[in-house]
Amino acid sequence: MTADSTPSGAAPRRGGSLRGAGPRRSSDFQDAAGFGDAPRGDGGAATMRPGALRGAARGRDRDSLAHTLFLRIYPVIAVVVLVTQLGIAWINHGERIRLYGERADLMAALTAKAIARPDWSADPAIYRQPVEALTLDPAFRAASLRDATGAVVMSLGDMPRGRAFDLITSQADLIAAPGAAPLGRLTLTISAGDLRGNAETQALLALATSLILMLAFVVTLHANVRRHVLAPLKRLLAAMRAVERKDWVPVDLEGEFRASNEIDVISQAFNRMVEGLRTGDEAKQLLLQLEQAHARLEAANRLVLESIGYARRIQSSVLPERTALAGTGLEIAVLWEPLHQVGGDYFWLEDLDGLGLVLVADCTGHGVPGAFLTLIVATALDRILHERRLRDPAAILEALDTMVRSQLRQDGRGAESDDGLDCGLCIWDPARREIRFAGAGLALTAVTDGVATRIRGAKRGLGYPQRPGTRFAVEDVTLPVAPGSTFYLMTDGISDQMGAPGDGGPMRRLLGHRGVAAILEAHRDRPLAEQVAALEAALVAYRGGEARRDDMTLVAFRPRPEAPGRVV
Amino acid sequence: MDTIQLAATDRAPLVDFDFASGRLQLRGESYPEDAAAFFGPLLQALRGYLAEGGVDPIVCEVGLVYFNSSSAKALMNLFMLLEDAAAEGRPVTIRWHFAEGDETIEEAGEDFAADFAHGRFEMVREQPA
Repeated sequence: MTADSTPSGAAPRRGGSLRGAGPRRSSDFQDAAGFGDAPRGDGGAATMRPGALRGAARGRDRDSLAHTLFLRIYPVIAVVVLVTQLGIAWINHGERIRLYGERADLMAALTAKAIARPDWSADPAIYRQPVEALTLDPAFRAASLRDATGAVVMSLGDMPRGRAFDLITSQADLIAAPGAAPLGRLTLTISAGDLRGNAETQALLALATSLILMLAFVVTLHANVRRHVLAPLKRLLAAMRAVERKDWVPVDLEGEFRASNEIDVISQAFNRMVEGLRTGDEAKQLLLQLEQAHARLEAANRLVLESIGYARRIQSSVLPERTALAGTGLEIAVLWEPLHQVGGDYFWLEDLDGLGLVLVADCTGHGVPGAFLTLIVATALDRILHERRLRDPAAILEALDTMVRSQLRQDGRGAESDDGLDCGLCIWDPARREIRFAGAGLALTAVTDGVATRIRGAKRGLGYPQRPGTRFAVEDVTLPVAPGSTFYLMTDGISDQMGAPGDGGPMRRLLGHRGVAAILEAHRDRPLAEQVAALEAALVAYRGGEARRDDMTLVAFRPRPEAPGRVV
Repeated sequence: MDTIQLAATDRAPLVDFDFASGRLQLRGESYPEDAAAFFGPLLQALRGYLAEGGVDPIVCEVGLVYFNSSSAKALMNLFMLLEDAAAEGRPVTIRWHFAEGDETIEEAGEDFAADFAHGRFEMVREQPA
């Protein structure tokens, strides 16, 4: 219990009295309690960051709890003890003075009694011995004996001059018989000097007692503050530092010493706070993981999209020039919009020695799988048109069916591929001004004089596993072309638009080919490119918030009214 | 035979195949990314149920507002199983629900109906509520 741990270079001390056994500086306590080992932070930042707590704890030169308690309580206790002790000593001293007075009175009375007889002053033998006996008392200072006239008969000792606090004087009249006149007077002075020493001792004792009390108080206070305040606070602080490091440990409430109630309450509140922070932190961690996962997904998605973008360029390059049939006297407009960049919709336009070929196919699936199938169809079609040189729509479809099934190995048993395509094919013969159509699951729409008609062709599509020997069969439909007639080959993605019909009905349903035909009829006199744009806008309007369901392809063609002339 | 119940998703229909009572139901939209994977187990279960050779009537309610061509193919396979069972004498009814004015679904139903010779194929026109 010393002040030897005073930090070097400390600022001028506050309350620096009573050093010997006095209270420690706040920093002493911080050191003792383990509060002072942290590196110095600036302590000024308001945000919670590692070191902030420690910085705040030592940023201001604040006295420790024990120090404050000591300074506030100790002077009161010390003064009270001192005053009490001095009061007791004072009362004691007064009592002794009184006893001394009574003693002097008694001695004077006894001596006077022994002397008091008539004519006592004539015989020294009567009074000398009793008076001299008074000197046996160690407190004796002086005595004088006077006769009735007041003349001094005998005097012993030195009568001190003036007043002295420690002298007690007593007088006794010499009375021979009750009621008689006094025969003289004895004056006795004794010293209370012994008592002064006694009182000094008492005062010293009082002081010593206060010092001992102080010592005991300091030791007890410090020990108790350490056990019941500093130790729990230290645990609390350790837990706070752990929390600063995001180590979600609660403070141990059952330490070596039970914390005081207040600290216990604070600790419990702290633990609840830690629990809350831990939960919040976990949520934050989860969010972070989610964000990371999202970033990875985004990267993966970007990769896929880039790859599909590349695939779209390939698929687009397989599609024909939109102007391929310009020489056959056909006005052409095309809408080709896969659902996912690439798709299973395919169209082909070709001038076959003056015949205009328009083909639209809808392969199963969309996206990349659909696109694969379109390449098979494109290859097969190329062979059919240029190796086998077929020009008859039904024959072309039949050949396509065979080749696709052969390519996908769908003729044998246990075929893996259950794929195929719907296909519609028109051959425009400008010389005869007629169109020959064959369809496999894909209809031809013709709008003549504002009236739409639909030529369905075969119900079945091409491809798909068939029982061996089954052959696709369809017949050509030949249509004479009336002036102004417009023809449309479209995949079901055009008419399969989910939305709410404009009649106000609450039911969601598909637009259907009649809905599409109505839109086309409404725009029948416009150039085909405008018609197609208007159709696309109408489809968007019909869908409203609904997503598209499928790839969309529409090829619109209209023989120009003027006589066809080959342009080479 | 267990009941198969699948909740509808945005791309797949509600499925309720209650084999014990002979009631099969499909409702909603059907354009799963891989139709074969979705319908495969359903066809398998139906095949197993029909192979048990019961004589209880089967009623199949189909109320789809949209299905893609792969789903159409799967539906065709499903109906063929039922038609085969009907050909063997089992009472089979298909109830094809379509909304008033929805010619796409109505025509698809008519196309399916054409393939039924033994089973009943009922067209159920639903009026807007």
